[in-house]
Amino acid sequence: MGESNKINKICERIRIVTDHETLEGIKLPSKEKGVIFIKLDSGYNVGVKEETIKRIDITGQLHPDAGDEGETGSSQDVKHNPKLPTIAILHTGGTIASKVDYRTGGVIARFAPEELLAMFPELSKICSITSRLLSNMFSEDMRFAHYKIMAHAIASEIQQGVKGIILTHGTDTLHYTAAALSFMLENLSVPVLLVGAQRSSDRGSSDAGSNLIAAAHFIAKTDFRGVAICMHKNPSDKQCVILPATKTRKMHTSRRDAFQAINTKPYAFVDYEKGTIEKLAPFPLPSEKKLAVREHFEETVGIITCHPNMFPEAFAYYRKENYKGLVIEGTGLGQAPVGVPNKECAIHNQILEEIRKLVESGCVVVMVSQCIYGRVHMHVYSNAIDLLKVGVIPAEDMTTETAFIKLAWLLGNYPVEQARKLFEQNLRGEISERTPYEEHFAPDFS
Amino acid sequence: MTPHQEHLNHHHLDYHHLGLMMGLEIHQQLEGKKLFCNCPTQIRRDKPHFEVRRRLRISAGEMGAVDVAAEHEQKKSKYFLYQGYQDTTCLLELDEQPPGKVNPDSLRVAIQVATLLNCKIVDVIQFMRKTVIDGSNTSGFQRTALIGTNGHITVNHKKIGIATVCLEEDACQAIERDKERDVYNLSRLGIPLIEIATTPEIHMPEECKEAALKIGMILRSVEGLKRGIGSIRQDVNISIAGGARTEVKGFQDVQSIPTVVKYEIDRQKKMLEQGEVIERTVRKAEEDGTTTFLRPMPGAARMYPETDVAFVYPILTDVTHIELLEEKAEKLQKLGLGKDLANAVTKMGKADKVVELVQRYKNVKASFIAETFVSTPTTIKRKEKIDVEPTDAQFEEIIAALDQGKIAKDSVYNLLCDLGRKGTMNFDKYMLLSDETINHELEAILKESQGLAFNAILGKAMGKLKGKADAQKVIELLKQLTS
Repeated sequence: MGESNKINKICERIRIVTDHETLEGIKLPSKEKGVIFIKLDSGYNVGVKEETIKRIDITGQLHPDAGDEGETGSSQDVKHNPKLPTIAILHTGGTIASKVDYRTGGVIARFAPEELLAMFPELSKICSITSRLLSNMFSEDMRFAHYKIMAHAIASEIQQGVKGIILTHGTDTLHYTAAALSFMLENLSVPVLLVGAQRSSDRGSSDAGSNLIAAAHFIAKTDFRGVAICMHKNPSDKQCVILPATKTRKMHTSRRDAFQAINTKPYAFVDYEKGTIEKLAPFPLPSEKKLAVREHFEETVGIITCHPNMFPEAFAYYRKENYKGLVIEGTGLGQAPVGVPNKECAIHNQILEEIRKLVESGCVVVMVSQCIYGRVHMHVYSNAIDLLKVGVIPAEDMTTETAFIKLAWLLGNYPVEQARKLFEQNLRGEISERTPYEEHFAPDFS
Repeated sequence: MTPHQEHLNHHHLDYHHLGLMMGLEIHQQLEGKKLFCNCPTQIRRDKPHFEVRRRLRISAGEMGAVDVAAEHEQKKSKYFLYQGYQDTTCLLELDEQPPGKVNPDSLRVAIQVATLLNCKIVDVIQFMRKTVIDGSNTSGFQRTALIGTNGHITVNHKKIGIATVCLEEDACQAIERDKERDVYNLSRLGIPLIEIATTPEIHMPEECKEAALKIGMILRSVEGLKRGIGSIRQDVNISIAGGARTEVKGFQDVQSIPTVVKYEIDRQKKMLEQGEVIERTVRKAEEDGTTTFLRPMPGAARMYPETDVAFVYPILTDVTHIELLEEKAEKLQKLGLGKDLANAVTKMGKADKVVELVQRYKNVKASFIAETFVSTPTTIKRKEKIDVEPTDAQFEEIIAALDQGKIAKDSVYNLLCDLGRKGTMNFDKYMLLSDETINHELEAILKESQGLAFNAILGKAMGKLKGKADAQKVIELLKQLTS
């Protein structure tokens, strides 16, 4: 997530004289209209209404620390220990390391390897690191174009012969990116771990460091290959969890353990302090084939969520705008409001008709469930049976996010007919063959 | 001059010589809900419902020089266990969710207090994160905002500056510490706290106590503050020429401030005499009056903005005129109460009620009304072993009856006893008799008291009519009958 307290390059010390008092401190960038903000020598920021100010004197200048921002695209190596495996850290946002400038209150993101090692000295015993800043953005701003940049950056790091890659990422759409990279990077021979933080790295309690260290342990100590997510197992700072890239979802707005495996088990738990790894599920099988980057995505793919009182126009939009793919997040087993049990539902005929027309237009329409957990079963009730008849494809036990990414990726790289077929096949662990029994299908909060 | 006074006087001169400078920092908890969530401000020690384990990592590069206090804690490299309760602590205390909107009641009370301390209220309030990495805040920082500046109080005709009034979150309470980890209870974390800091203009140990008492009085004049042990905490910053600022915290009570301060000054003085360097430290006031080392003094400015909380434009119209407790006590004295009685009524929080009753019921003496509130229930508890806690309405019922001449003064005690025993008051039982009935009774007594002296008859009459007739009236009527 990260926070942006942008600081002035040069700060001025000022003295504000108002009707009531004289205040001295550092002038801050104004954030409210008609208000001057000043950082007092006590450290507190206060806002002074301009209308009360009689005079402002500049009493001095203050130069912020040198080298505050990392340079985009620059790659730096810190003393490479040949005995330790090399891990490349690629930054995309959700800063893992920050520095607070207490003079101005500004938070400055840190990306260089030596800065990361200075903040997380534990890393130097696990691996040597290289790092690269790809972007520094909120993950909700991510677009398919960013996936392309990431995939190529990863491929080039693999060519350099790294043991594994850590990709730092804002958490909101981290699981979309994880799924996207899974599909894009075919025959991946190294671990690619996405790491985020639910508490920003400018605070002592940030989970960024422990997630990063756990990911480094996991890369250095296992033969895992493929894309996975490394976040907190629970609210405590002790164990992190390695989650499957295509079957994980952000299930909480703010908790450290927001990421949960859906319809499957995590790969492993990592004790970030001890560096021990507890394996929970088999790792993806290795491939002898050469890495291929399938980088394309179909841009016009959407998601629509079913709810009571829908209108056909909502579906008509996708046909009118020539969408090539649509994920319907249906209710229950994979239903949409297309039945007409009474006169109040008369309009539902038109909804079914719109979906039929959409499929006929060449759009690939797939069905996931808003239940999140479980599998869609579209042959049970008549509404879903009607949807199957018009050509809607069930997404099995895929999450909405993975189904969306998979559909866009398939349509970007394969002819439509092949994409339709491949959608129903398990390509990267996104579809479970079986639905085994678990005592708690969701995290156990009892 | 007694030797004790001489000793004090000797010190008096010393303090001046030593360049003694002291400042007070007072922390007062607020009632109601927490500062940034809707959890109650209930401090608990019962069995916790859950425990979360955490570590804190020092924020990188603290302006080049690593913060002394932060480094001290980091060296310890401890982990922390936080204990909480499902029903009274939430994800915010666990640092598992961002803060909500600042509690408007706390904000109003803080502005009210700052106003009473003659502060200029900040135009636009911004909450800050004050870095704290001893584990007492799950986030690694304390949320705090400057509310008012440049105020003052008057202590013994001397103006002492109020540098700042801040509104902040209280920290967790340490339950247990060992080499490896500290255990904290989450229930206190996030309780709204008003922090009042004076300027270092206090030059005498006694003055330090008096300033603390004055601020305490001002605080108690405002509603919405927590009362009782731990709800107010005093820290004293002490320095003498050639030394360094030392913060002493954890005073048992305000009265112990001068003793502790004197010991601390002595300690610093001796250190300087022996050529030792005084470090800036935080020390704990012990029960015996000495102080012990707690930790190095944290660096000055370890704050950066709390970007999860919006700016606050204080609403000054919410600030009402508040009569200070000392003003209330003065008012009671003007109504005829002695100083001690006036203070006792004020301390009970009954000043406004007593003033109201005195003004409404002119036939009852002010001091009698005050005593009925302050001492009658305690006397009953002591003498009769009866617990009685009359409501303000019940007090007023009694005073009204007295005012209208329906009951005798003596009956007040008995009515309150009855209230304690039975939970109700039966005024009929103590209703004063009419003149006619009294005469009737007196005639009967006279008949059976043939030949007795006036005083003996009066004695008999008083015994019979006690609580049912005013003594003065009995004397009068008896005189008429016997003349």
